[in-house]
Amino acid sequence: MSGVGQRKTKDEVKEALKGIAAEMHNKMERGVPPSMTLPVRAKTNIGFDNKLGVYKYGKKKSTRDATSLGSARQLLRSLHVTEFIEQMIDSGKSSTLREMYYISEAWGHGKFGSQNESNNLAEDLEIVTKCLREDFKLRPEEDGARIIGNVTFEERNRKGDWMRINCRDDVGDSGYGVPYNVESEKLSLVEEDVDFIMAIETGGMFDRLVENGFDEEARCALIHLKGQPARSTRRIMKRMSQEWNKPIIVFADCDPWSFRIYASIAYGAIKTAHISEYLATKGAQYLGITADDILAYDLPSDDLTKQDLSALDSELTDPRFNSGYWKDQINLMKEIGKKAEQQSLAKYGLDFVTDTYLPEKLKDIGLGY
Amino acid sequence: MGGPSGGNNMVDARDISGKQKQIAVSEFFEKNKHFLGFDSLQRSLITAVKESVDNSLDACEEARILPNIVVEINRLKGEDVELITQDNGPGIPRDAIENVFGKFLLGSRFHAIRQTRGQQGIGITGVVMYAQLTTGAKTRVISKIATDSSAVFVELGLDTRKNKAIKSKERREIWIDEGTGEEIRHGLKISTIMKAKYQRGKQSVYQYLRMTSIVNPHATISLIVKGKDGEIIEEGKWMRTSERLPRVVEEIKPHPHGIQLGTLQRMLRESEQRKMTSFLRHNFSGVSVRAAKEVLSVSEIEDDRVPKRINSEDAKKLISSFQKVKLLPPPTDCLSPIDDLLIKKGLSKAIDSRFASTVTRLPAVSQGNPFQIEVGLVFGGDISADGPIEVLRFANRVPLMYQQGGCALTKAIESIDWKRYGLDHPGGKGLPKGAAAVLIHLASTNVQFTSEAKEAVADNEEVFDEIRKGLLEVGRGLKNHLKKKDQRKKAKEKFELVNVILPEIAKKTSKILGRNEPDLAPVITQIMNAVFCEEELGWDKERKLATCSIKIFNYTARARAYTILLKWPESENVSMVENSKGGRKEARGIWAWRLDTLNPGTSTTIEVALSGLGKGDWTDTDVFFRGNGDIIGATKIDEKILEEIRKSEALVAIRNEISESEIQEISEIVMEDREEKIEEEIRSDEINIFADYEEVSE
Repeated sequence: MSGVGQRKTKDEVKEALKGIAAEMHNKMERGVPPSMTLPVRAKTNIGFDNKLGVYKYGKKKSTRDATSLGSARQLLRSLHVTEFIEQMIDSGKSSTLREMYYISEAWGHGKFGSQNESNNLAEDLEIVTKCLREDFKLRPEEDGARIIGNVTFEERNRKGDWMRINCRDDVGDSGYGVPYNVESEKLSLVEEDVDFIMAIETGGMFDRLVENGFDEEARCALIHLKGQPARSTRRIMKRMSQEWNKPIIVFADCDPWSFRIYASIAYGAIKTAHISEYLATKGAQYLGITADDILAYDLPSDDLTKQDLSALDSELTDPRFNSGYWKDQINLMKEIGKKAEQQSLAKYGLDFVTDTYLPEKLKDIGLGY
Repeated sequence: MGGPSGGNNMVDARDISGKQKQIAVSEFFEKNKHFLGFDSLQRSLITAVKESVDNSLDACEEARILPNIVVEINRLKGEDVELITQDNGPGIPRDAIENVFGKFLLGSRFHAIRQTRGQQGIGITGVVMYAQLTTGAKTRVISKIATDSSAVFVELGLDTRKNKAIKSKERREIWIDEGTGEEIRHGLKISTIMKAKYQRGKQSVYQYLRMTSIVNPHATISLIVKGKDGEIIEEGKWMRTSERLPRVVEEIKPHPHGIQLGTLQRMLRESEQRKMTSFLRHNFSGVSVRAAKEVLSVSEIEDDRVPKRINSEDAKKLISSFQKVKLLPPPTDCLSPIDDLLIKKGLSKAIDSRFASTVTRLPAVSQGNPFQIEVGLVFGGDISADGPIEVLRFANRVPLMYQQGGCALTKAIESIDWKRYGLDHPGGKGLPKGAAAVLIHLASTNVQFTSEAKEAVADNEEVFDEIRKGLLEVGRGLKNHLKKKDQRKKAKEKFELVNVILPEIAKKTSKILGRNEPDLAPVITQIMNAVFCEEELGWDKERKLATCSIKIFNYTARARAYTILLKWPESENVSMVENSKGGRKEARGIWAWRLDTLNPGTSTTIEVALSGLGKGDWTDTDVFFRGNGDIIGATKIDEKILEEIRKSEALVAIRNEISESEIQEISEIVMEDREEKIEEEIRSDEINIFADYEEVSE
């Protein structure tokens, strides 16, 4: 795989896509069913890449070949998508994944059965061609994050002009909306006056910190993740961490799903492990809420559900959580059988989170102020 | 067969009318209304409809009339409900009306050794009684018999002390149909008002009539239920699907195996014969001269003893020697099975399903009582897949609607391991789950119930075994159907893959790369790697022929040679009028074609057309093959089954030449053989499935 930042030219992208068709064509010429080879996309096939400091797909490959109707349809779809991308590259257009899903209506037997299928196929093509979705001119539907804090970006607007935006002074309460493409051709990081960047899982907590003026008090930029963060959100965090050399702190609920949000930011997500080095922020730290916090702060909590427990068990065998810290946290959580939301801190008043909890926790990791 | 367990609580109605006249019949009715089916407002209405409809069906059957039955229920004020039933039956002669509507005939009806619906109820008198007791209403009857010039209009009440009907307002008049304005030539209309409640659901008049229509495909039945303001609450119409009336059943004499001491003593007392051998021969079925002599010698009773004078000691000896001497089984023409094809029609008119399998077992005998089991199973279509399957129980064509759990028919269903036949059966206990309905019909001269309520059939080993055998047969049909469906789906997918998707892939890659399209034949062989068979049944509208085309594709890398066998509904009326590939008859209903060698990548088609069938008569068939290597979509022929078919052919051939009793014995042997075969086949089926699975997954 080519390294980060080494973006491909249009011709290189088209050539890479042709490779997919060539693999199939060559097989048919040899009298065997056409196929496409992909890495196994499961937690059993991700491993830590020492050089990059993130989790990447391992060596396990799966072959999608035309011996079953479902796989054959996938292959046909891949070819249609390939053709469609080529057309877009040639005509200088782009489309959303959803638009591609609708365009596939005209593809006869190659049309998608659901939006999910088209999303997954776009990822498959990225993996096989070692290109990025952006190279394919495909945009996600997903919402980018919101940022508030004393950081300044330049974003190229629709007219092609660069616009300078300070995320404290030039935005309203909802903050700066991160666009789906945060690559250098669209966005540049201009300047900052913060000590760290804090990513927050829930909107309610983000708004609480904004209202309490936490960004200025603690000299940080606040990012609202909106649940499982979109690719552009993870990418902009990665760039801020890399280009500004700022620590990334994750503040989320205490439940197994939030742990996964953290893991996707710090180590890479299983689904996008082919571009982990491009999306994951090595060294991002989990601040809370932890199972320890539930006990230490006596937080209102809910019982773990069956699904929660099986998610926790699954995390115990996930290589990304294979550290003493996470094993302790997960086991403690199973032991007390509880989970808690960020907003449970409100038990001690609206200012408790900014006056007590966060300062104490930040001090623990050496970011006291 | 044990006696009905609830029987002891029951007072015999004849005793009331006879010896104990001082007890009012109304009191008897009050005391026993639970057994009589009048214990709740909801059930009373069902029972009333049932008594009336059963009578209509029996009367029409005897008079050889295709029944049209109309049931109308109108809610009046309070809990009052008007019930009107009308049939096109023979009607009741004027002088018999009092007896039919005014006498409790409870006991005597049970003693007729013959299969009738009426065995199971208190009779229409119960309805008259119930109406009178709850609302004081008289029952209005219109009866017209074909030979009279006018109809009898009369109102009936009951003298509950004398167990007698009281007629009033009797007149004779031409009976005009309100709908058509035409004179009604024969028929019966009953209307009355009773306290009752109309309720929908599993135990409703609607369900009772729906079930009745399934087992009486020769009847057209309609129901209309109206509310207090004349609004229609529920409606149903079940059209006849067969013009064939059930055959008239013969009354038979009791068989010694089923006789009890009391009955035997009564028969001896009432006998007019002078010799014991003639007594035995004339009063029982299944007793030949030789058998009668043997019974007497085993009992140590002289032939010249006068039967009237036989004491109870000797009667007991007779009973025990009945069990020791070899007797002929009772004749079975006293039974009236519905016939599996008609059950299929009846089921498909009431339930929209994808698959129906029915079987009529040969008559069997339990302790001197002939009985016959019919089983039907429908699957798929509109049937709800949630929860347990629907159970449709019938005894002598009468739906059983209550006490499902305690019924031997239900227990027989529960005793089958349905998982093996493709139904969900959690823990192998209780009823299986899934989109299926199972019908069981027990036809018998003496249906034994668990209680006088006559809603649940009592346990009986022979009956239980027969039902199980029938269920296994339809279960096997279901299993084949599901297997075929699955195979067909897989084959269809593969065909789409190689015929549609793969060529498109090749076209696209060629276009993207600007290269020539590759030859796909070797790729297709590799993907399919199997021989496929697809049969299609059709209907040639113009020539009124049922058609079948069988296509065989060889998608393997080597040449194959097969014999293909087709199951077809061969009979006197059905013949194969077109046959593209010749072949030969392998057995009755099985045609075989020895095919030329089928080279890799080639296919061949067999086309046949049958005359003598109606549209929709041939909807399901089996294709078998003989040869090496599997064919997806066909079953490897089991030579044992062929053998079995040939055996039953032989049985049919000799049927005309030998006596009935011998046939019985032969058929028993054949049937036993056949059951073993079925069991074996089921086992070998399982092995085949795995073979198929491996074939596909390769």
